[in-house]
Amino acid sequence: MSTPSHMVELREVDMQFEEKKVLDGFSLKVEPQQRLVIMGQTGSGKSTILRLILGTLRPNAGSVFFKQFEITRLKRRKLQQVRQHIGMVYQYSALLSSRNVRDNVALPLEELTDKSRDEIDKIVDEKLDLVGMKDSKDLLPSELSGGMKKRVSLARSLVLEPELVLFDEPSAGLDPVIASVIDELIISLTEKSKVTSITVTHEMDSAFRIGTRMAMLYQGKVIEEAEPEKFKQSKNPVVAQFLSGSTEGPILEGSLDAITKK
Amino acid sequence: MANNHSPVGVAQEVGQVSRNFLSEVGSVFWFIAHTFEEMFERIQQGRVPFRAASFFRHTARAGVDSVPLVGLVSFFLGLTMALLTGYQLQRFGTERLIPGLVAISFTRELGPLITGIMLAARIGAAFTAELGTMQVSEEVEAVEAMGIGPLRFLVAPRMLALFFLMPCLSTVSNIAAIFASSLISKAYFSIAFVYFVDLVKDALLIRDIITGVLKSFLFGLLIGAIACYRGLTVKGGAAGVGTSTTSSVVTAITVVIGFDTLYNIVYTVFFPT
Repeated sequence: MSTPSHMVELREVDMQFEEKKVLDGFSLKVEPQQRLVIMGQTGSGKSTILRLILGTLRPNAGSVFFKQFEITRLKRRKLQQVRQHIGMVYQYSALLSSRNVRDNVALPLEELTDKSRDEIDKIVDEKLDLVGMKDSKDLLPSELSGGMKKRVSLARSLVLEPELVLFDEPSAGLDPVIASVIDELIISLTEKSKVTSITVTHEMDSAFRIGTRMAMLYQGKVIEEAEPEKFKQSKNPVVAQFLSGSTEGPILEGSLDAITKK
Repeated sequence: MANNHSPVGVAQEVGQVSRNFLSEVGSVFWFIAHTFEEMFERIQQGRVPFRAASFFRHTARAGVDSVPLVGLVSFFLGLTMALLTGYQLQRFGTERLIPGLVAISFTRELGPLITGIMLAARIGAAFTAELGTMQVSEEVEAVEAMGIGPLRFLVAPRMLALFFLMPCLSTVSNIAAIFASSLISKAYFSIAFVYFVDLVKDALLIRDIITGVLKSFLFGLLIGAIACYRGLTVKGGAAGVGTSTTSSVVTAITVVIGFDTLYNIVYTVFFPT
């Protein structure tokens, strides 16, 4: 099997949770320095894709590559090393609740590098400054708002200078202004540091602000993949319905009747 | 599918329960093995498997903070045991056996057992709830996604804290119980403290002490492993954390008592007095 030259590649991936087939022959390629946005309905398997790339989930079939590494075949030790090149920002931030902001951001540096405390402090300050959270170093996650948590999570994902950053619903649950701030941060950080990013979201404004390439996930497959402008004009009825937010179309076929009958 | 009350149905039930039980035993065994594997891999890389501060935080919580509870419960049990056995032995004029009886039964058996049960309830439940909440809020996955081994980072310091602190707490339990029985011996059976100490020294063998200490290490490891395993395998949000915590305490107590019996059988068969 050939080794891909892309930053990320998923080949014919099947993923099933008990009875539910979430990904069905799913294939995707992500080029270096691209900002790919994967859109799709809630529960369509968008976050699963990110977990497959990280190797925290194993697919039922198919292969997942990060650069030349086949994530699905890596041994635990090698996988842990590869993960250090990937940053992940979780939907609910996933900050360690018992550690303050500084310690959360410093965690990967403390555990995975030989840097001194002074060096770590310098990097932590720099990353927190990037996301505008330098003054909140001593606060615990429980003392932060949703937007602040997201920013700290973003800072944490960047401390090891990753080549790829994954964002799981970065603007979900945030007010429009803070959502825009997070989007701007993602754009500026990926531009400055030349990193590749994959964002999964179902929030349209955010998606088109961030993305340099868009993909639509539907029934376990990518049904449309294009530049944002082309994507907006897609003739695919599913994409058109998703973008317009209309109740008429193939997405809710069958289930809509059930809802209206109730 | 066979009817639930038919012999086939009952056999299926029994088979299912046995299979689940064996699969759980296997999972906990591999959980311990993988935790040590992650730790040794880390040591091979020339790094410490976890931070000393993290280990000492857990030892302080599991060990030092448990001293009052373990001491108090063992003290009361020592009082009761000396009192009840004393009255029976008095009828035969052999109340001087009280010190030896309490000392041997606590050092070999009750000290580690009572301490194990109390630690399973007090610390095992806390570890499961803590790790379970971290699991539910994706914190464990975030740690893993950073390339940090969650077993060596989250489990190892907790499991080893219990492993090393159990024998210390068992000793506290033994001392509290023996002290309590010395008070009863003095107050009700006129055994002076000096004589009490002599009787304890005469009755207690090094072998009893070693048995108790080895048992304590084993119980500590098992309680820690079960608590952390249950925590990291939580499913289903807040309700799942509750269910797993209950299950952790029940499993740990049952396993401690089960292993105690097994240990005694093996020890008695292979190392008879």
